Amino acid sequence: LQRNTSVSDSDSVRLEVSACLRCLSSSDSSRNITVLQTLLSYLDEASHGAAQRAQFSRSHYSRTLRVLITTIEADWVHRLTARQREELWDALFLRGPPEQALLVLLEAIGELSPSTSLDHVVTITEKFLQDGRLTNLLWSYCVGSAQSDSPQLRETLLGRLSALPDIMANKLHHNISPLFLPQQYYPLLASAMLTALQRTCQALRGQHQPDNINCSLAFVSQTLGKLCLQGHGGLVLAAMAPRLSACTRSDMVWQRVCWKLFESIPQRSMECVLTALVLAVSGIVGNLVLRNKKAEFVITHKLLLLQYKYETGVLRTVLGYLAADRDRRPLLIQVLRCICQAWANPSAVKHTPMEQQLYVSKALLLSVSLLKDQELQDLRSELLQCLLGGMQSHLDSSVLRIRCVGMVVGECLSSRMDNADTKLKFEYEQDEETRELLSLMTPSGWCEPESESLQETKELAPNTCSVASQRRQTTPPLAPTDPDSDLDSDDELTPYDMTEDQEVSQTSPPRYLRDCLESLMSSEDAMRVELSLKAADPLVRRNAFAAREISVQMSKVLLHMEDKYNIQGFLILRHAAMVALAVTDCIPVTQYLTTEFYSLNYSLRQRLDMLEVLVAAAQELSLPTTDKKNSSIISALDVAELPPFQGHDPVHWRQVVEKRIQSKTRRISKGASQPATAKATPNRYAPVAGYFFFPLLKNYDKPEVTFDLLGSDHLVLGRLIHSLGLFMHLAVNAPVAAQMGSALLDFVWTVRYHTDQMVRRGVLFAVCSVFLSMPSQNLLLDLGDMLFETRTWLTDVAEGDPDADCRSLAVQSLVLLDKSLKKQLKDPQSPSLES
Amino acid sequence: MLKLSVADDANVQPLASLNDHRMSHPPPSPIYTLRGAGGPLNSLHFRCYGEDAPLLFSGSGKGCIHIWNLNTRRTNKVIEGHSGSSIIWVCTKRSKDTLISQGRDMQICLWDLGEGRCDLLDSVWTGSVGFCQCSMLETSPISSLLAFAGQQTEEPDSCPGPLLLAGYEEGSLLLWDVTQQSILSQVKAHPDPVMCLTFDPTRLRGISGSSEKNLSSWKLDEKNNLQLQGGVTLANPGVSQLCIREDGKLLASAGWDSRVRVFGWKKLRPLAVLQYHTDMVLSVAFSDHQDPRQRLMAAGSKDQRISLWSLYNES
Repeated sequence: LQRNTSVSDSDSVRLEVSACLRCLSSSDSSRNITVLQTLLSYLDEASHGAAQRAQFSRSHYSRTLRVLITTIEADWVHRLTARQREELWDALFLRGPPEQALLVLLEAIGELSPSTSLDHVVTITEKFLQDGRLTNLLWSYCVGSAQSDSPQLRETLLGRLSALPDIMANKLHHNISPLFLPQQYYPLLASAMLTALQRTCQALRGQHQPDNINCSLAFVSQTLGKLCLQGHGGLVLAAMAPRLSACTRSDMVWQRVCWKLFESIPQRSMECVLTALVLAVSGIVGNLVLRNKKAEFVITHKLLLLQYKYETGVLRTVLGYLAADRDRRPLLIQVLRCICQAWANPSAVKHTPMEQQLYVSKALLLSVSLLKDQELQDLRSELLQCLLGGMQSHLDSSVLRIRCVGMVVGECLSSRMDNADTKLKFEYEQDEETRELLSLMTPSGWCEPESESLQETKELAPNTCSVASQRRQTTPPLAPTDPDSDLDSDDELTPYDMTEDQEVSQTSPPRYLRDCLESLMSSEDAMRVELSLKAADPLVRRNAFAAREISVQMSKVLLHMEDKYNIQGFLILRHAAMVALAVTDCIPVTQYLTTEFYSLNYSLRQRLDMLEVLVAAAQELSLPTTDKKNSSIISALDVAELPPFQGHDPVHWRQVVEKRIQSKTRRISKGASQPATAKATPNRYAPVAGYFFFPLLKNYDKPEVTFDLLGSDHLVLGRLIHSLGLFMHLAVNAPVAAQMGSALLDFVWTVRYHTDQMVRRGVLFAVCSVFLSMPSQNLLLDLGDMLFETRTWLTDVAEGDPDADCRSLAVQSLVLLDKSLKKQLKDPQSPSLES
Repeated sequence: MLKLSVADDANVQPLASLNDHRMSHPPPSPIYTLRGAGGPLNSLHFRCYGEDAPLLFSGSGKGCIHIWNLNTRRTNKVIEGHSGSSIIWVCTKRSKDTLISQGRDMQICLWDLGEGRCDLLDSVWTGSVGFCQCSMLETSPISSLLAFAGQQTEEPDSCPGPLLLAGYEEGSLLLWDVTQQSILSQVKAHPDPVMCLTFDPTRLRGISGSSEKNLSSWKLDEKNNLQLQGGVTLANPGVSQLCIREDGKLLASAGWDSRVRVFGWKKLRPLAVLQYHTDMVLSVAFSDHQDPRQRLMAAGSKDQRISLWSLYNES
């Protein structure tokens, strides 16, 4: 009997609705108002039974709305008064099941062309949002009262919900209401979700509904997942997270609801939600990582080891989240093991970008600082292993920054592990990066020794600085100010010129070049040696004739000279003297140096010195000079340009590379290389460029016992290639440039995929300089067959090299190559490729 | 730069006055020099108050005490009283025309200079072969206290507790309470022997020099403790004498590098480096002229010359 009535009910509803809709479609306006009222009554609790209402909203509501939309242009609709329209027409959209209404509305917006009807529909949609229908929508899914629920429909609905601002913007362009902008819509959606969650909580507590109802958070989770997947996670969670974390802090029910929410997030959107969440705040996901494999992967692996774009705060949040709960601590230790391996991995040190290494180092320091003493004891041996291996691979690197990171991490780790006096202690320069790394070790106050040692190092820094600055001052430093002396003190007394107050030396500097050489060779008197070394550069330049007689001998003496007496500025003085010799008597000295470069029994330092001298000499020779007066000035400039050699040459080298790149960039943008003010003078470098260049290309692949250029001595290889690139660069417009360029390209081709980034940088720099200095027709002739390979290689490097400098250099080379190609192809006079 | 006529034994050559050259940046030259001492000048002492002609006493390494008249710029008198031994200290008593001199013959002599006399009044045998100079404290016109380095400590008269600062060869400074014969404070000011020290009783600050490059400044606090305050680093090592001008504005140092350095005393700001001498400067002294504009600084050197300078006299 029951079923019969329901069947008859459903039939009657169907018949009535069909009649109404037919009526609406016709143009009889007089009845339409009553028809609308009839339809509206199905949404009203008072006028129809529950079954009939359910029947209507399940089967006929969408159809009704669609018919309404089709009649939106009809005359009778226009004839409705504003009030009637609002109360009857609009109300049908706003009182029925929200999911159907939303779908129909958005469908209509998509179909309608810009008109008043579209505006009308948009207004209804706006009202839909303003009336909090979104909350109803979500809540209806929570309690399972949503009428039509198929996976397809759900997916469509989710898509529409998350993309509403895009749909609106596509249709309305600039006339969009601010409500549909992402900045307003997503927080609105977020608050709707919060309300749904809150109602769920209330339902669980049994406050609202007396009878127990089942709440499902699946739809809300799906919505959240979808939003995050589409990249709106930031906006949504920024609105949700603070509220959630506030609620979950004390409330058990909220906690359960919240955890449930994140547990039921679909797998494929888990990562997006989590990353958005850790960017906002953690703490509200509970022990999700223990239950959800995907979440565990994201938190413990992906965020820490695969990605490196996040700020330190995110790392802090992630690791802090792992460390906060007893159940999650095993994960922290597991993570620490992984990070340790990643940090100590020599291949990672070589092949991953600097930024990622820094990121991993930060993660390592943070997780170590979060360990408890007991856990630290358990992990001690593993940490030590990591420390030793990692230190070695970091210190082996030829990049200063990597070495520096290695030293800081090593120091921090060792000081965390040993409270005794077996701490590592390195000397490195404090900068922002190291300071940040050091600060990571003190997130909380429970490790006093670290904070102390940190303070010590911090205090040390200014001290060393002040010492250095004092050393730099030649004038006697001012006395410390007396705090209790009155203001009218010494200031009224004007000091006289005190520059004459130099140190008095007992011996006088040598006047003749041979004396100078003699004392450099055999003198045991520190003062005489120092004075001779200081006098060598000006003496050589002043007495070019005498210098030519002894140039090679003196170069040999200087090359083998050691800083026995701790002379201030020894390296600079020696370098200047050797450069002076190479400039004054170019061919024999360069021949000597280039032969010695590959011979036995030199230290790497000496070999690097040879390269530096050759480079500086080539640079000086290539500068235009008119007379002797200028030459000394230029040499002084040259020496002044060189930063002091204080043991960390890679920095100096890097600066040079950067300077070169900059100079090159300028050249490209300006076109013309030199301003026309300089007088035309013969280039002193062009005739001798070959002497600098070609001997260094010999023998590079012949390993000696003490020198293996293609093997372990890649530091020298990088510098050698860079120097060759410089010789090439300076030889622009020289006749020999074409041969030099092709030889250099051949040479670097074999080492273009070297594992050391310094070598790769050198190679790319050399390629750049070849493209710059070589005449374009020769370039094409020589490259000819290798052109495409070179291009592929350069594109490859520009896209995939872990080192940022290499990438930018490769881009430079590509630009240069394209430029000269274009120039060549445009110019009909030049010899063609086939010739 | 200098045009000197060697006409007399004690030749005096005035040079350009520097009073108007306050703004000039190059360091000043001496206003005149005194020659003819015939030996290194170990000690200088001015006596420029009163109506008499201003005098400068100098003790030379040859055992002569020269009394220079600064108006005529010639020697008034030469006293040879220490049997040829080097004079290391000369001083006059403020009350009478008496002169005290200390020589390396282990004698301290008291001379009467009144009315053109130069009679030996008294002498004390010290027994000290060192270079330590005496120090005199005039408490009243009739009583004064002289401290000298001796072989053993002797108990002095019971005066109201004067304090004595002494610098030692191992680089320490000791503050003695003379009546109690006790060390009040001790501080290691230098790694090398203390060559000279001077003390400013108004500011309770002092400074000491050594054979190294640093001048060390120190302070005496309320509890009679010596506290090091830092110092100045010189370009060349070795200081033979330090002297503070009476108004407490200038400090002069006699350097072994033949230069006299002038500092502002309050902050030890370097003000001038005076290069005139060709050998070690051994002594430096400021005059006690009553008119501050006439104040002079004298520097005596191993090159047997005394240079006189007028520095920062405007205010």
